[in-house]
Formats: sequence, C-alpha cells, structure tokens
Amino acid sequence: MRFPLASLHEQTTAFFQAARRVLYGVAAHEIVLYTIRLRADMESLFILVTLGDLIGVPILPPYYSLRLLPYLVPNIASWKHRVLRERDILDSEGLDLLA
Amino acid sequence: MNTLFALILALIVIYLGYTFYAKRVDAQIIQADPKKATPAKLYMDGVDFSPTDRNVLYGYQFKSIAAAGPIVGAITAANLWGWLPAMLWLFLGVSFIGWVQDYSAMMMAVRRDGDSITAIAHKLISPRTRTILLLFIFVYLLMIVGAFGNLLAGTLAANPSVPLGIIMLALAGMLAGQMLYKWKMDLIVTTIIVVGLTLLAILVGPLPEITNAVKGFNSSLNTLGLTIYYVDVDGLVKPFTTSYMFWLLFVVAFSYLGATLPIWRYAQPVNYIGFWVMALTIVGGLLGAVVAIFVKPALANFVLPAFKTFDAGAGGALQPLWPMLFVTIACGAISGWHALVSTVGTGRQLEYETDALPVGAGSMFSEMLLSLLALMAISVAGKGAGAAAFANGVGQFLSIFGLDPTYGAALGFASFVIIVITVTQLALRFMRVVLAEWAGEMWPVTKNIHVGTIISAILMIIIVLSGTFTYLWQIFGASNQLMAALALMLISLWLVSEKKNPTYAFWPMLFMYVTTIAANLVSAYNLWVTVVLKQSGKPELWFAVFGAVAMIIISLFLIVAALFIGYDAWQAYNRMKAGKAAAAPAE
Repeated sequence: MRFPLASLHEQTTAFFQAARRVLYGVAAHEIVLYTIRLRADMESLFILVTLGDLIGVPILPPYYSLRLLPYLVPNIASWKHRVLRERDILDSEGLDLLA
Repeated sequence: MNTLFALILALIVIYLGYTFYAKRVDAQIIQADPKKATPAKLYMDGVDFSPTDRNVLYGYQFKSIAAAGPIVGAITAANLWGWLPAMLWLFLGVSFIGWVQDYSAMMMAVRRDGDSITAIAHKLISPRTRTILLLFIFVYLLMIVGAFGNLLAGTLAANPSVPLGIIMLALAGMLAGQMLYKWKMDLIVTTIIVVGLTLLAILVGPLPEITNAVKGFNSSLNTLGLTIYYVDVDGLVKPFTTSYMFWLLFVVAFSYLGATLPIWRYAQPVNYIGFWVMALTIVGGLLGAVVAIFVKPALANFVLPAFKTFDAGAGGALQPLWPMLFVTIACGAISGWHALVSTVGTGRQLEYETDALPVGAGSMFSEMLLSLLALMAISVAGKGAGAAAFANGVGQFLSIFGLDPTYGAALGFASFVIIVITVTQLALRFMRVVLAEWAGEMWPVTKNIHVGTIISAILMIIIVLSGTFTYLWQIFGASNQLMAALALMLISLWLVSEKKNPTYAFWPMLFMYVTTIAANLVSAYNLWVTVVLKQSGKPELWFAVFGAVAMIIISLFLIVAALFIGYDAWQAYNRMKAGKAAAAPAE
C-alpha cells in the first residue's frame, strides 16, 4: 500500500516537471530545433566537402577524406538520410512559425 | 454573461469533448499503439525526425498553431454577429471538427512515414490534388498578407502609442539573433534583455511626448495629400491616407527583413520575442478576466450584444451567419493550416503514437481558449472596434492588477500588432519560397530571394490598397477552411484505405466543404454588388474595382479548385472500394 502523502508529493513533482517541459516546449523548443538545423546544415556541408565521393562529388583528395573518415562515420547514416530524403515545399524553414 | 462563466463553460466543453469523444476515437477507431515505432524513432536523424517528450511537443504544437488567427477571427466575427454565435462556433467547431483534423492529420503522418500532407495527397488522391493544395497555400498566404497588412497599417497609423514598440521589436529581434546564435549567450539572459527592451518601448509608447511626436509625423505626411479610396464592408467609400501608406511601407520593410535574412538572424528571434509579449498579455488578461468577477464584477460583464443579426451585411452586401461565420473564425475552431504543421512539424517528433491525442487534440482545445480570451476582451470592452476593442478589453483586464488602463491598452495593442506582424513577415517569406517553386523553372530570376520577395511584397501592397479588410479576411478564411476540408477528405480516404470507420472525419469534411464553397460565392457576390456594380466608372475608385475583380477571380478559382479536389477524391474512393491499390495514378 502506498502512503497517500508520498503519492501526493510524487504527483505534485510530476505535475511541475510536466509544466516545466510544456513551458520549454512553448518557449525554447523552437530555438533548439533551429540551432540543431543550423548545425546539421553546417555538418552536411562539411561531410559533402570531405566525403562528397559518396554521392559522386569529389571535392577533397581521397587521402584527406580517409584521414577524416573515422571521425565522420557516426554521422554518415543520419547525413545520408537527411540528404537523400525526398522533400517538398512544406519542409521549408519557417512553416512551424507561421500559423 | 460574464468572463468567469464563459471560461467555466469552455472548460466543461473541453472536458466533455476530450474525454467522451476524442479519447474514444483514439482508442476505438485509430487504435493508437504505444508499441508501434513512430517515424521519429524509425528515421531518427537528430534534426527533423527526433523523438521528443509529449509535454514538450504539446507546448511546441500550441505555439505553432496559436498566433494571430484565433484572435483576429473572433474579434471580426463578434463585431459582425455578436458574441454568442462566435462562442457557439468556437465550442462546437473545436469539439467536432478542430481536434479531429489536427489529431488525425498527425496520426496519418505518423502511420505514413512522416509524409507531409501534400505528399500524402499526391499518393492517396492524385498528383493534381497536390498542385491544387499548393495553390490553396499561395492564395492563403496572399490573403493573409493582404488582410494583415491592411490591419497593421491601419492600427499603426491610427494609434500613435504603438509604432515605438514595433520599431524596438525589429531592433531587439536583430539583437536576439546576434546574442543567441553568434555570441552564444545564455537563453535566459538574452530573453530578459530583449523582451525587457521591447516591453519598455511598448509601455513608454503612450507617453505624451512620444504620441505627440508620432501624431505630428503622421499629420505632416497627410499634408502631402496622397490618397487612395476603397470601399469598406458597409459599402461606404473611405480613404487610405498618406500616413496609412507610410506605415504599410514600414510593415513591408519589416517583413522584407524577415523574408530575406537567414531565419535565425531575424524572423525566428522576432517571433520568439513576440511570443513572450503575447504570452504575458494573454496570461495576464486571462487571470484578470477570472479575478475581475470577484474584484470588479462590472468589468467582467459582457457589454457587446449577444446576438446582433442573422445577416450583418450592409450597403447591398450579404453577411449571413451561415456560411460567413464559419470562415470568419478559422483558428480557434478549425484551421487547415494546422494540418500542415501537424504533419511535417510535430508528427515527425512523436515518440509514441499515444502521444498524438494530448499533443494534437490537446493543443487544439487549448487554442480555443486563446480565441475565447479575444472574444471576452472585445465583449467586455464596449468601445472601439476590432483591434481597439481587443486592446481596450485587455487593458481593462490588466487594470485589475493595478496597471493603468492606458498602459494596459497599449500592451494589448502592441501584443496584437506584434502577433500579426510576426505572421506577416513569415507569410511573405513563405510566399517567396512558393513563388520560386512555381516560377523558378520558367523564370530563374524568381529564385533570387530579393526578386522573389519584392514580387511578393508588390502583390501584398496591391492587395492591401485595393481591398477591404473584412472581405480579404473572409477569403483568407475560406482558403484556410478549404485546406481543412481537403485535410479531412484525405483523412477520410486514409481511414477507408486502412479499413477503419471514416464517419467522424467525413461529416465534418462535408460541412466544411459545402460551407466554404458557399462562403466563396457570398464573397464574390458581395464584391460584385458593392464595388464592381456600384463603383465602376468612378476615376478615383478604379484601383478598388480592379482589386474587387481580382478577389472575385480568386474566390471563383477556389471554388473550381475545390470541385476538382472533390472529383479526384471521389475517384480515389471508388478505386479503393473496387479493391484496387490505393496509390494514385502516375503523373
């Protein structure tokens, strides 16, 4: 059997945690998303420069690409997904801000 | 009626709608399953597809759908028909149509690999449907910049206390972008500085020194005598003054920055500051509305008539309650734009399918409360019209906490203008993107961001100076609601393809479809009767007649497009019924 006050305390804590997350969602999630997109764009550009061979755009001599490869391996899967994903006009930046 | 009673009624509606209808649909028809992998998990790339906590997503979805729409629509409708029809439509619309669309569109995206609604339309109905949906989006954007440009220029020209706050918003937006993304400063410190600066400018705005300076500036502009005439919704010919045109250009310049600068540099930080100003005003206003009943009961009583008339038309125009109320209030009850955000934004971040109900339906019900606040503010104000009534109402609510009503009203005005201007800049930005998509192949120059934005801005100026706010707003509402009808049509077809009962989405779709077609016919008739027939041949009104003809063409175009979509959907339904593959024929 649970002690009622403990349950009340847990519920109150859970409520305030949820409220904090909602506030974060309303106020800051959008900024975080834009920051992540900004970083992802830079990362995509960097991977294109270094590993462009993967999609037929050889920019950097393979020697340097191979030297960088171990550092870039963890990001290649998500990069390929981002670059190769079919997009349409609704994927443009700013849609989520416009209501 | 008073504010507390209205709020209690709204909470009861939300409880009943969410508990006894939304939850049942979620459990019995959609059968959301927390064990099924969502696109956020399947295709996680840490950017667009990323599992996110449902409380965070609820806040994000609410922020994404709640902006100027729920406020302006409620104000315009209450002025035309009284507060009771507006309130009833808010309650019934959100309970039976609004949440249905937002939640179901989100679930449809989740079950279809996070596809956007245009991609689903392409696959499920036909390639032509996607093209028509994009046309809807362009008309939506064109009308929204027209209606909002009209509203903004009028409010800035007529209220000398407002411009300082908006100029500061632009500067603070630039500063916020620099502080956050370049100097990498702490978000809380940045927020305190930029929101503080903007609020200070808003509250300094009503000081006599400032208002006199702005009044003097406007008067000196008006001595130039540059005037364009338009026909108002009451059929009367009224002038756009030189100061009005100046503030319109100011709005265009503000929006130009939002459309051309990188989004993190200007548009997004401005939106962020705008959110805080709006949030403070809304939360303060709502609290004031509740406390008023105990502290100053007279202040909480509705002064606006509950019901004015079934037909609010004047000067030969028609404004029948049906169908016009249902396009005048879009957001707050049902808005097609939400379906776009629900699919490409939030739908790709849902961690569990079961999160879609609190996020999609929950935020839609919450948005209705925002619309209700606007309705309450205008209902208790009793003086002024439109934005002025809203600002005065908010000023009265905030006066409960000891804030002078003049400053409260200034905050109400500024938050209203800020909400509207942030949407306008983003609409112009999106217009530029749509224009490049359409015309880019034929005229590559339109792909240039400045050329695309200038073309969009010129279109905006033409629409504003040749149009009438109420008609612009109603055609915007009709294009928005047609998008909602299309989204509900897609949802119905998707449910059929999944062998689920589509009734809960089909009847709302039919209602929205018929209503919006009828509303477009009424808008076209009104423009024909009040402007084209009565004002043709008058040299000073050629621009207004030109604008009316353009609006009539747009209204008729929306009707034809809706009929095409209806036909294509019927064909798709027959394909599914015949047991063939659900996929649309290739283009």
